[in-house]
Amino acid sequence: MPDGSFSHPQQRQFNPYSDNGGTILAIAGADFTVIAGDTRQSEGYSIQTRYAPKVFRLTDRAVLAVNGFAADGNMFVKKVKQRLEWYRHAHAKDMPLRAIARLIQTMLYAQRFFPYYVYNILGGIEEDGSGAVYSFDPVGSYEREACRAAGAAQSLVQPFLDNQIYFKNQAAAPNQSHPAHLPLPDVLSIVIDSFTSATERHIEVGDGLEIYVVLAKGRSAQGLEGARGIQELSTKSDGDRVFVIRRELKKD
Amino acid sequence: MFLTRSEYDRGVNTFSPEGRLFQVEYAIEAIKLGSTTVGVRTPEGVVLGVEKRVQSPLLESSSIEKIMEIDAHLGCAMSGLTADARTMVDHARVTAQNHAFTYDERIRIESATQAVCDLALRFGESVHDEEALMSRPFGVALLIAGVDEGGPQLFHTDPSGTFVRYDAKAIGSGSEAAQSELQDKWHSQMTLREAHLLTLRVLKQVMEEKLDQHNVQLAQVTPSKGFEILDEVKLKEIIDAM
Amino acid sequence: MSIMQYNGGSVIAMVGKDCVAIASDLRLGSQAMGISSHFEKIFPMTDRVYVGLPGLATDVTTLHHQFRYRLNMYTIKEEREIEPETFAHLVSSTLYEKRFGPYFIEPVIAGLQKTASGDFKPYIAATDLIGCLNFAKDFVVAGTASDKLFGVAEGLWEPDLEPEDLFETIAQTLLNAVDRDAYSGWGAVVYVLTKDKVIKRELKGRMD
Repeated sequence: MPDGSFSHPQQRQFNPYSDNGGTILAIAGADFTVIAGDTRQSEGYSIQTRYAPKVFRLTDRAVLAVNGFAADGNMFVKKVKQRLEWYRHAHAKDMPLRAIARLIQTMLYAQRFFPYYVYNILGGIEEDGSGAVYSFDPVGSYEREACRAAGAAQSLVQPFLDNQIYFKNQAAAPNQSHPAHLPLPDVLSIVIDSFTSATERHIEVGDGLEIYVVLAKGRSAQGLEGARGIQELSTKSDGDRVFVIRRELKKD
Repeated sequence: MFLTRSEYDRGVNTFSPEGRLFQVEYAIEAIKLGSTTVGVRTPEGVVLGVEKRVQSPLLESSSIEKIMEIDAHLGCAMSGLTADARTMVDHARVTAQNHAFTYDERIRIESATQAVCDLALRFGESVHDEEALMSRPFGVALLIAGVDEGGPQLFHTDPSGTFVRYDAKAIGSGSEAAQSELQDKWHSQMTLREAHLLTLRVLKQVMEEKLDQHNVQLAQVTPSKGFEILDEVKLKEIIDAM
Repeated sequence: MSIMQYNGGSVIAMVGKDCVAIASDLRLGSQAMGISSHFEKIFPMTDRVYVGLPGLATDVTTLHHQFRYRLNMYTIKEEREIEPETFAHLVSSTLYEKRFGPYFIEPVIAGLQKTASGDFKPYIAATDLIGCLNFAKDFVVAGTASDKLFGVAEGLWEPDLEPEDLFETIAQTLLNAVDRDAYSGWGAVVYVLTKDKVIKRELKGRMD
């Protein structure tokens, strides 16, 4: 209308969420945990950056992977780190892994009606020295597991993990049973295979791969020292230790 | 204008020129009027003991509650204005449950103690929009006993909000004599049984009435069974063994 | 919900060394409800050409008969058996005829192609519901568990697998993929085609 009025009612809406693709994955061993994620960040068919980390070291025994809406993910990690700092001041110790898991639940559920659009996977070492993986939905439902994939290529990777980690649909040899945990080199191979596979078949996965390895206190770094592109992130060498392995993935 | 000491007594949050908060000091004095309370820490657990003043033969002694559970691994005994302790124990319980809810772990004894002490100085006139809490300091001291990843521990809190860790501590009217007795008899390799006996002996020494299972109460916190108040049968058995 | 997911079901085909394999689940559903655990979706067109038809169940039957009819016409006219590649184009053109009212099926073709030297060369292909052909060197997938099948196959498959190893690979791929798909499963069937025989195996799987 020339006078600036409208002949029809109009409605506008702001969508506070978007999906930034990518995939994360974690596998627990007997005395170690591997947590990995690709580094591509995309929106629709555009790649925003080829290096946006989705996996973060929280303490010397806890690593958090976040996938979904990147802005929410980064803010969530920031807030978890803040809570860990407060806890350290209030209780004079690092927060144990299961406590971090519970904290993440309460933080996610606090946003029950305006959730962080994020799938979290927490990996690390429990108080008893065992490797552990906790996976979460966006509103805080969580579970301890031996392995979990999340994100854009979850549907590609999870059934592969079911087969390779849980030995699903595989019968054990007579009078034998499947191992409850795999050795570190096997786990690393499975992680790398999972991501190369996901990169091959999913457009939102690729560019770079960051594999965090958390070793329980007293466990030797055997099976790791040979790894290409490895870097240690631990603050002390006599406790649980954190390493990161950085690799390239296909960029097409 | 120069104010006399008595004028500083009026404001609960006014320092005297010598740098003292009289109301807090008086509150600490109030505890010395309370019944004697003893705590003993051993490697096997912590023992708490209280004297119950049964002023009348018509009084139901079991209704006197001076030892309270805070959480399964944590409890406290009190001396002074025991009514004030309800507020503090309530706060400690909520803090402990909140911690378990948020972190899926038991709260540390020191953290629970700190939480109680955070309350201690929240008295005075309420500021604009702020919820009024207490108008005066708490008139009670607590012995907080518990077991966490750091082993059995015993803490003492007073109305100033200060807390200190002890191996053995006595508070209340008979505390001076009791404390020196504890200093004599406590040793680092004590068994829980020995701690039960020591607690009762110390109480017996400072009590005016003859000690029996009705006028004392005993509680313990152990790594295996957590906090428990000993029933009269168990109490009598220990008294008889004394 | 998409009509492609109404009845559920998945098919996969893989290339091995001088052999091919094609496998599917056995579920027939009506949305979330299971109807049958013996609904075969793979059909032999010749001894060396098999076709898998995941998608809308009514179209599975219709297309199966349509292909059989057209194949018979081809065999009579040409007086020879059809080759897999030719059959793939027959599938493609049949589907494209219904470009604007398609059959809700994404066929998978697996076969052994006769070469000039008289040997047999593995051949697999898949098409979308309007007949766009996809020839792959390694494996093709279709159906409600296609994304899962892609992921597992990409991880398990390797070149030049012997028939027994190819069977193991395709069976594991299918079973693990359909276990993560609510619309596929309820048992599985695998065909392994070699130059002188076809092995059909029915597999037990999770029945949930």
